Amino acid sequence: MWPFDAVDWLMLLVPVAYLFIMIGSLTVFLSLYRKRQAAAASSLEPWFPQHLQRNIYLSLLHQEDPKVPDSILKAALLRRATEDIHRIVQIRNAKQALQVLLQRGSVGDDLWKRFERAEKEIEEELRDVVQEANAFAPNWGQSIFQSASEMAQNNHIRECLDEILAKAPKESQWWNSRRAEIQGSFMKELDEEKIRSREGSVAGTGSVVGTPAASVAGSVMGEDAVMVESPSGKKKRKGKK
Amino acid sequence: MEAADTFTLLPLQMDDATGTVSASGPANNALNTELAALNALHRGLLNVETSTGTPPPPVPVNPKRSAQIGKLRESGNAEFRKGNPAAAVKLYTLAIDMALQRPHWEPSGLVREEVSGLLSNRAQANMAQQNWAEGSVDAEASVEMKRVGNAKGWWRRGKCLLEMGRLDEAEQWVKQGLEFEATEQDLVQLRDQIESRRNGQISAV
Repeated sequence: MWPFDAVDWLMLLVPVAYLFIMIGSLTVFLSLYRKRQAAAASSLEPWFPQHLQRNIYLSLLHQEDPKVPDSILKAALLRRATEDIHRIVQIRNAKQALQVLLQRGSVGDDLWKRFERAEKEIEEELRDVVQEANAFAPNWGQSIFQSASEMAQNNHIRECLDEILAKAPKESQWWNSRRAEIQGSFMKELDEEKIRSREGSVAGTGSVVGTPAASVAGSVMGEDAVMVESPSGKKKRKGKK
Repeated sequence: MEAADTFTLLPLQMDDATGTVSASGPANNALNTELAALNALHRGLLNVETSTGTPPPPVPVNPKRSAQIGKLRESGNAEFRKGNPAAAVKLYTLAIDMALQRPHWEPSGLVREEVSGLLSNRAQANMAQQNWAEGSVDAEASVEMKRVGNAKGWWRRGKCLLEMGRLDEAEQWVKQGLEFEATEQDLVQLRDQIESRRNGQISAV
């Protein structure tokens, strides 16, 4: 038998205690560190605001009394998928720029962490939507994001168009007043010219003045449409101003 | 966004008779807008002709609407050729509305193509009536929908701006257009016109 009494138990306790203290303090430190990290990560502001469409969809899905019909749920799911498309596009656009900024040290580590979390979340969200879609109709999961991306695009197109076409009334109002202005000044000049030339040839008597002026105005009225059309006429007006 | 397994329960209620969803509690603006969009989409979804009631994949397009739009455009063109631009504008407007009423899950590229052509035609019909302001807006919208291969759209807005005497804008616009359509003869000519007009103006002053 190994001589137990030859071992000095007291002296052996020293390295054992050393090991115990080292390992123990390391574990305590690690667990504290992890906890703090997790707290910091969860207190980071989320990348995206609340997913309203997802909340609506899930609220409707969980409504019991009365049950919401499938058609509304499908519509809500499509809306949710459309919002997801917006988010994916944002994430993709932001990723490269953010990587560059991070490498240069222009942005903090926190931002990158938030971004990575958003990326993970959106992946899960996509998987979830596909599953839900497949539950409604077989194979809808394959096409729901195609439809959703077209919907996002179509919404964008219509917004753009509405914005541009809404300018039409204002523009035409502006042009009408501008045209009237141009016409007015043009006619006035014509009148003045005529009067001047008449004054030059006939030293105008009071009784005659009324009629020719009226006839001049009439003839100008007849012509004015043409005058405004012809670019050269208009240009002269503008040029002389 | 919240974690994957939680969500915020929103106070929603459904009207059985009309099949619309509305907020039952206090609602903010965003929620109301979203619900309106949802109800609109739902109404559109009810007319879908698939067995499952889900929108079909975008690619095979329902030919009915395309045919109707094509017809309206043709009759608009015919009116324009007959020298009746006011009627043509009306027909083009109808066609544009119809193209924009396509269900949103149909290909957006198709909508762009159609609407751009129709707007360009409407701009021409407006120009024929000397409605330069309307023409310029239509042509701008047409270009917005389709920038490449839309030399007519570029030219038409440039021409309208020139006719309205907005030389600076016209010059800017045509320059931008030439970046896309550098070889287009009409655009080059228009630029020269604008330049000569500008020079004339300066010498007149």
